[in-house]
Amino acid sequence: MKRRKSFGWIFLASVFFLTALGIGVVLQHVLAPPPIYQLRIRADLGTWVLLISNVVLLGGLGILAGLWWTRRLLWESLARAQQEYARAKHRFIYRLDHEVRKHLAVLRAQIASLSDVAEEGSLETAQADMLAQVERLDRLLSQLRELAELKEREMERLPVDVVSLLQQLMETIRAYPEYARRQVRLMLPHAPWPLPPLWGDRDLLFQAFFNLLDNAIKFTRAGDWIEIRAFEDGRSVVIEVADTGCAIDPQDLPHIFEELYRGSNARGREGSGLGLALVKAVLEHHDGMVSVRSRAGQGTFFTIRFPSAS
Amino acid sequence: MGSPRILLVDDEEALTRYLAPILERAGFSVVVAHDGNTAFRYVQEQPVDLIVLDLLLPDLDGREVCRRLRAAGIWTPVIMLTRVTRTLDRVISLEEGADDYLSKPFDPHELIARIRAVLRRAQKFPQRPPLHTASKLRTGDLVLDRRARRVCKGGKVLELTPRALALLEYLMLHPDEMLARERLLDAVWGWRHPVATRAVDVRIAEIRKALEDDPERPVYIETVTGLGYRFLAPVEPLVE
Repeated sequence: MKRRKSFGWIFLASVFFLTALGIGVVLQHVLAPPPIYQLRIRADLGTWVLLISNVVLLGGLGILAGLWWTRRLLWESLARAQQEYARAKHRFIYRLDHEVRKHLAVLRAQIASLSDVAEEGSLETAQADMLAQVERLDRLLSQLRELAELKEREMERLPVDVVSLLQQLMETIRAYPEYARRQVRLMLPHAPWPLPPLWGDRDLLFQAFFNLLDNAIKFTRAGDWIEIRAFEDGRSVVIEVADTGCAIDPQDLPHIFEELYRGSNARGREGSGLGLALVKAVLEHHDGMVSVRSRAGQGTFFTIRFPSAS
Repeated sequence: MGSPRILLVDDEEALTRYLAPILERAGFSVVVAHDGNTAFRYVQEQPVDLIVLDLLLPDLDGREVCRRLRAAGIWTPVIMLTRVTRTLDRVISLEEGADDYLSKPFDPHELIARIRAVLRRAQKFPQRPPLHTASKLRTGDLVLDRRARRVCKGGKVLELTPRALALLEYLMLHPDEMLARERLLDAVWGWRHPVATRAVDVRIAEIRKALEDDPERPVYIETVTGLGYRFLAPVEPLVE
């Protein structure tokens, strides 16, 4: 903030300084056009006084105006940022409250039904159900903490082979029963050169790609296509995860990377609402970017861009 | 020898009320304290075999209790109920002197397994400072320097990624214990994503390669099929 403020000053002051200088020179020509320019400017005291007073006056005015202007801009943007922060915080607390209560409601119902269960003798099933519920809640909070810790966590900065990473991702996904009912393809470039390595934390990147692919599987039906495409264009390494599944509602689109946000088509599906937030956080950690496009009836694709390591 | 005496220190009465009987059924005799000062005084007067210590207590926190015990020359094994994943935590853990760490909420059976493992180590090497307080860990000609973040074998520095080193450190801090992949992931990576357990295998492979440890006939790291890993070699603290 401070640096921007002083930049504004310097910029405005120098603009006015140059203008004043220009005006001074022009005035001098208009008032008394010299036969020999250089001689005249050295000799004439009056011209010097005119020039310097111009510079001082206009320069001073410029600095004052610049000060006032940058101050106003700063205040406005600060107020906007504060408002946005307060709104985001409120949204987050509201969603967290909703998620935690949802799990607690199940747990309460399970505890209430415990006395009936005991009579029928299936105490073990009830116990397992309650434990699973507690674990869901535990996982939700753990993942939230992981997300919060991501920025201060030790992160490896090592070359990561994207090809082997994506291949390992495919192996992991193959173990899922839904995999067999989708057409999942990994498309990698071979000519003229393979993908360059990324610079970063392999395990975090794996988790981010996994979340995207898991998301694609979750929102597709049997027979749908899922393609993972990777390529580079000289400036960035690009990885796309595209699917022919159900599209994201345009209203949800700006919010899907927010923590605990649940899109209208995600209701009734298992999920923490943190998967895409983690993707975004991991990518920001790697100076990368993620964007999404979706069309009703056609599908969705996520595009990830990393600056090339070279 | 009678059943081991455990001092359970936690201010949450709802927890100790349920946990104490579970520990007793597992064959321990349990004493409960609800604050740090009471716990500290109790241990000074009556020896116990192990202390389970919550981190956040109303008066003295768990760290302070542990530090004071060590300062008083009492080396009763301590299991601290918190998590240690970040470098900062690891540096603190060097100084506070606990024997193991477990994060809440935990499965009581996991706590029982940890108590047994720590008691086993303490019986084997009575009055030895816990491995967690050592700045260097040694097994044979392998030395891990926890402060300098460096591993040497036979005087030669091994090339390891930071996370592989953290994993090896955790394995060496818990020798002869079966360490489930999920536990390693939680302790070293600070994650609980089940899919990421594959990351553990990748780093174990890296460590094995650096140590020239044959997975078929391991000297250092044994695979426990379908579960996790175990550090086989005996580890001793090098205190300077």
